[in-house]
Amino acid sequence: MTDSAKKKILVVDDEITVCKSIRKALVCDAYDIDIAVSGEEALRMEEKKKYDVMVVDLMMPGLSGLDLLKSLKTRRPSAQVIMVTGYPTMKNTLQAMHIGAFDFLPKPFLPADIRNLVTRALAALEEDEEGGSGPPG
Amino acid sequence: MSNRGIVRRFHDMPLRFKLILSFLVVIAIGGIVSLFIGTRLEHATIISQAEAKVRHDLASAWMVYHEKSNSIRDIIWLSAHRKFLRAALQSGRYEGVAAELEVTRRQFGLDILTVADGRGRVVVRARRPDVTGDDESGDPFVSRALEGRPTSGTVIVSRAELLKEGPDLAEQAYFKFIPTPKAVERSEDHEENGMMLKSASPVEDENGALLGVIYAGLLFNRNYELVDQVKDIVFKGEKYKGHDIGTATLFQHDLRISTNVLDDKGNRAVGTRVSREVNEAVLGRGASYVGRAFVVTAWYITAYEPIRDIEGRIIGMLYVGMLEKPYIDLRNRVMATFAGLAGLCTLFLLGLLAFVARQITRPLAVMVEAADRIARGDLSHRIGIGGRDEIGQLAQAFNRMTEDLHSARDDLTQWGRTLERRVEERTHQLREAQDQLIQSEKLASLGKMAAGVAHEINNPLTSIMLNTHLLLEETGDGSEAREPLTLVAEEAARCAQIVSGLLNFARQTPATTVRADVNEIIERTVQLHEKQASVRNIRIERDLDRSLPAINLDKNKIQQVFSNLTINACEAMPDGGSLRITSRLSRDGTGIEIVFTDTGVGIPRDNIPKLFDPFFTTKSLGTGLGLAVSYGIVRQRGGTIEVRSEVGRGSTFTVRIPLEETGEEPEREEVSS
Repeated sequence: MTDSAKKKILVVDDEITVCKSIRKALVCDAYDIDIAVSGEEALRMEEKKKYDVMVVDLMMPGLSGLDLLKSLKTRRPSAQVIMVTGYPTMKNTLQAMHIGAFDFLPKPFLPADIRNLVTRALAALEEDEEGGSGPPG
Repeated sequence: MSNRGIVRRFHDMPLRFKLILSFLVVIAIGGIVSLFIGTRLEHATIISQAEAKVRHDLASAWMVYHEKSNSIRDIIWLSAHRKFLRAALQSGRYEGVAAELEVTRRQFGLDILTVADGRGRVVVRARRPDVTGDDESGDPFVSRALEGRPTSGTVIVSRAELLKEGPDLAEQAYFKFIPTPKAVERSEDHEENGMMLKSASPVEDENGALLGVIYAGLLFNRNYELVDQVKDIVFKGEKYKGHDIGTATLFQHDLRISTNVLDDKGNRAVGTRVSREVNEAVLGRGASYVGRAFVVTAWYITAYEPIRDIEGRIIGMLYVGMLEKPYIDLRNRVMATFAGLAGLCTLFLLGLLAFVARQITRPLAVMVEAADRIARGDLSHRIGIGGRDEIGQLAQAFNRMTEDLHSARDDLTQWGRTLERRVEERTHQLREAQDQLIQSEKLASLGKMAAGVAHEINNPLTSIMLNTHLLLEETGDGSEAREPLTLVAEEAARCAQIVSGLLNFARQTPATTVRADVNEIIERTVQLHEKQASVRNIRIERDLDRSLPAINLDKNKIQQVFSNLTINACEAMPDGGSLRITSRLSRDGTGIEIVFTDTGVGIPRDNIPKLFDPFFTTKSLGTGLGLAVSYGIVRQRGGTIEVRSEVGRGSTFTVRIPLEETGEEPEREEVSS
């Protein structure tokens, strides 16, 4: 599988350990996984590389997960964003879904959980592309 | 004893004696005063009557006296007109005249009857014919008669004069004084003169020329005719106990010369003298004397008046007296009768008094006894005194008071009991409220903490879980590392479960209430757990009140509560049993009660207060948050959960939800699942 064929995934979490752990859980030939430890970094990286799926921690110092989601969805509505959080509040969750997050995963989770979600997100992305439809509302 | 002592003694006496004594004093004073006044009046009346009588009697005596005097005057007047006397005086021949006159003298009881010629020389002396020729012209009676004026009166006659008329007459007049204690001292010890009633008349010829004088006299000394006549006429000879009631006496000066007062030997008490008092009043001042006097041997009521001669000089006294004894005896009889009547009255009054006092004091004694009994606490006691007088009214008032007291005491007791009960209730409610407050505060702060902890722990936990599982994926089945890795994975999972429980606990979202039927929620809950329960040999029974009203509830949350309680109950019955779920309207009708009764192991008494604390658990796999979360949900709706349990018998959880929503708004941040 060529690099371009690989699905580009970005994991954003203010805890590097968590980032690494998630990358490790997802790592495989089909995925090209990057990590960012802040929202700002994530935005910079996104400018250089169009990620298919982004796993974003909801609560981060500085640019929060929600703000990041907003920016990403504004720039590139097709981006699939999975929100994770250790402290899921109803308000944030609903907001995130409204803005256009693909799904929501509460911490802690098993490797299988995140793999499944990413797989589903990629599938959804493919469907969108095939259907030529715009970003989900 | 001092006055104060007497007063105190009187004060301490029983009322009855006090009444009797007081009345007795009143009666005694009244009796004595009336007796005193009565006897004085009586005495005065009797004595004054007696005195009036004796005054009257004295007047009668005077009449007798004047009668006597008049009769002598008449005899003299008649004798003066006798022819033989005129002839004898005209002729100067007096033979036979004396004898003739002596007949007259004796006939009329005269002591002297004498004739003098025109010059006052005695020519005939009937009593002593041999003694004549003496000149009597100096005699006041004779001299007046010589002037042609007949004259009568009483006179003191000297012993010489008496001797001329006869020595026996002088002897009759003579008195040796008998010593008399109360009499006035006199220098003489005897009386030789006499007191005589005397009358003189001129003898005239046919032409009225004076021929001479005839005069007569009656000597009173030892002549008792007059006094006895007075006694007979005035007192009719009445006697009292052997004594003459009435007495009369003629005094020559102060000497008793004629009397029917007897001395202690029964003789006429002549020769004694009058008392100084009478002497001074009558002889001294010429007044009449009326009053009590001790006469010789006894007390008399007496009257004395002076006897005067023709010149007006006091020469003696006329006395009448009534024995005082009959009057005194009469007075005494009256007084005795009076006193007897008074005594009888007093006795009768005393009896009446005792009766009245008893009538008054007996109800009082009854009342005193009643008051005593009431003081000892017997408020059911009543006084059985009728009547409408003050005492009857008092008894009624007393009974009313006792009744009021009785009911007041009952009220007070009742009130005390009510108060006690209410204090108990309030204390209970207060303690409950406090418990709930503490519980709520605990939950609130714990909710905040739980959110923070969950957030912080979930990050490392995520790394642990992910890496452990990744390692497990890479590790072959035969590897020795597999077992410890699995252990780490499991423990991490348990950590995740605890954090998840904490989050569930913190996740008390604002209730989204809808109108719901509690019974329906119970049914759904039972459906969820029925299968698992039956596997564990547990029977779930439902006893639901179908008439319960629908209330506003967050159905999901309430179902979570019911599920929790059901699960807890099932876990309390490891060897099977039964769970009864009852729904009913609360007794006061303001709420719905859902009761979970199991036949499980029960909860030790010490654990009951901690039951709703977060993380309190007795189960090896429990998080200890189930009941805390349930409690939070029910409190949020304004309800309560109560526990009653007995070790070995089972537990009863009662969820009480008010019909009206009064829930507390959760302070916690909204949390989603």
